[in-house]
Amino acid sequence: MRLEDEYRSLRHGAALSRMDHVGLVRVSGDDATEAVDAICSGDLWVRDGRMLQTLILGEPGQPVADVYVCPDDDACVLMFEGITTEELSACLAEYADPELAIELEDLRPAYELISVNGPYAWEALSKWLTPDVIGLPYLSFYHFDRGTCFRAGKTGEYGYDLAVRSGYVERAWEELLELVGALGGGEASLETLDLCALENGFFSVRHASVEGLTPLELQLQWRVSARKRFPGAAAIEERRAKGMERRLTHFVAREGVESGDPIRDADGPVGQVTAAAFSPGIGGVAGMALLDLSVAHPGIDAFFVTGPNVERPIRTVSSPLLFNRSLLVDPHRHTYATRDETSDPPLWLGSLP
Amino acid sequence: MTTNLSDYVSSREAVLDRVRRMLRDTMKLRIEPEAIDPDVPLFGTGLGMDSVDAVELVVQLDAVFGLTLAGSPWVSAKLRTVNTIVDAILELGNET
Repeated sequence: MRLEDEYRSLRHGAALSRMDHVGLVRVSGDDATEAVDAICSGDLWVRDGRMLQTLILGEPGQPVADVYVCPDDDACVLMFEGITTEELSACLAEYADPELAIELEDLRPAYELISVNGPYAWEALSKWLTPDVIGLPYLSFYHFDRGTCFRAGKTGEYGYDLAVRSGYVERAWEELLELVGALGGGEASLETLDLCALENGFFSVRHASVEGLTPLELQLQWRVSARKRFPGAAAIEERRAKGMERRLTHFVAREGVESGDPIRDADGPVGQVTAAAFSPGIGGVAGMALLDLSVAHPGIDAFFVTGPNVERPIRTVSSPLLFNRSLLVDPHRHTYATRDETSDPPLWLGSLP
Repeated sequence: MTTNLSDYVSSREAVLDRVRRMLRDTMKLRIEPEAIDPDVPLFGTGLGMDSVDAVELVVQLDAVFGLTLAGSPWVSAKLRTVNTIVDAILELGNET
């Protein structure tokens, strides 16, 4: 499918994606939680069956992995992107107390990850799994006979990540593809998932442009503990004491803006574009930029992206950029077949510069 | 920085600071207001607010800023991050 078609599926119906870029491990043993706590930047205050979104930082304080921690009986399941399972294992070996009794199992050979996202994703899942999936709270999971269903997602829509036994995954894919097809959807590529994540302000550890940035500049302080030690904690404290100079800020533009482009105002440089992509929902470019802290605010029309012989205006905006359809869809009252979008507000409530 | 931009940033930062303090007090967070990022999600992830917190937040926004959200359409679009709350408060100021 074309990206525009994939995008429409995901933003208005449901879309199915392969999650080959995501790692999945199970850390088990009496000290599993303590070991995972030692490598993650956030406080692991999360109950069995729930999920916590956190980070693993490098010593310079830069995020190297975006992680869901999922306590499951005497174990922790970790779903992560940004590093390999081998790198995660090395991180545990370096930072967790070697006396801790833990065992790490790579679940990827036995399971594959696929995801269903969209305002009606719950409808596909309720038919494929059980109607009870409608009541599954955001950031929680449950096991079924052939895998695990994680209620998560990074698109701003209803999202479900499914760890499905490898021997069953192709059948599951075909069945789910048929179900999302009935919801006006189909397959969505990683590119479409990334675009939707950008529009909704989700952090992507796979963007090369986040290199050298800490959770302070990335607006991810909520994923950083103020009470414990973790890899990168010293660098965070140092950056905090020194004072933050720049902050990630969202913007929109009509066209012609790319990652790495410099940004200036009438007086001179104020920052740099870190990510940008054309958004069908906005009808223009959605982007993120690292701006000088003194002007890192939404609602500013004074900036330009500069290139050879051209100046393109940008407008800083608040995140999320879209009014997601999932905010208007109630699984207990609505269905895709009986939907009426005529009275819905547009996806994008703003205007372009 | 031009005067207009400087004025806008000053007024925005003043409202941002007040909203951060209100959220810290409402949520009983043991952190400095500056540790609440402007684009942090209010619900689900981020500050992890729930429906009970949402009711308290709506009451506080009305009491402190005169921002009446109860019963207004598209309220969910205005209560997504600290910045979307600040946007709504600044819009209120522009309307009066």
